[in-house]
Amino acid sequence: MNVPRLSDPAGATNAPGAGDRAGAVFGALSDPTRRALLAAIAEHPAATATQLAAELPISRQAVLKHLNALTDAGLVDRTRAGREVRYQFTPAPLSDAVGWMAEVGAEWDDRLAVLRRQLGTTSPAGRGAPE
Amino acid sequence: MTDRIERELWLPATPDAVWEAVTSDGWLADHVRIDLRPGGDARFDSGDRSRGGWVEDVSIPERLTFWWAMGDEPASRVELSIEERGDGTRLRIVETRPLEVLDLVGVPLPGVGGATYGPALVAA
Repeated sequence: MNVPRLSDPAGATNAPGAGDRAGAVFGALSDPTRRALLAAIAEHPAATATQLAAELPISRQAVLKHLNALTDAGLVDRTRAGREVRYQFTPAPLSDAVGWMAEVGAEWDDRLAVLRRQLGTTSPAGRGAPE
Repeated sequence: MTDRIERELWLPATPDAVWEAVTSDGWLADHVRIDLRPGGDARFDSGDRSRGGWVEDVSIPERLTFWWAMGDEPASRVELSIEERGDGTRLRIVETRPLEVLDLVGVPLPGVGGATYGPALVAA
């Protein structure tokens, strides 16, 4: 499997905050093992590294290493309970979902209105005249 | 969680005409350049709202699935389905944003072709 190329660091300098954050998130997720680990964390909330290692074909050491990467990217939270460290999936730090639905939905409504004007009132085979 | 937007529209036109309309300049963006093959690059330019992306799957004139993103924003996946219905054509649009991380876990990344695995990673 080829390793996805991450964003060009030079390109990320335009928007340091968002770019770095997205870069860290995608970097963390570019590894299939880490994606599997993240899925395991989501399925087993508040699991320990030992429990997670039991879910995956990798050692506890390797799990700890990947957990660090996921934690650094803000995808996973760790909480200490006595001698145990438990890991929790944290909702994606990528962006807010709320505005997206409204904004993107409105864009599609606009596009569909254009199509309706273009194709909706002419003969089946024809294309309407551009405005 | 996956953000999901769905729209459907019936048009009194042939699937070919709908395909042409939705892939031509002026609809998805002012200027559209799509390499119509899996993994092909796509550019959607509209003034300062330009998007980069890549094609996941294409079947003319029935289906076009692609990913796009603007700058640093997370990528979203757009599926355009065109199907003959009665005397016309039904166009169905589904845009999802599976890059809400947890969903990305289950998203198969394209193995070959695309310059990157998601347009969010295309350098601005």
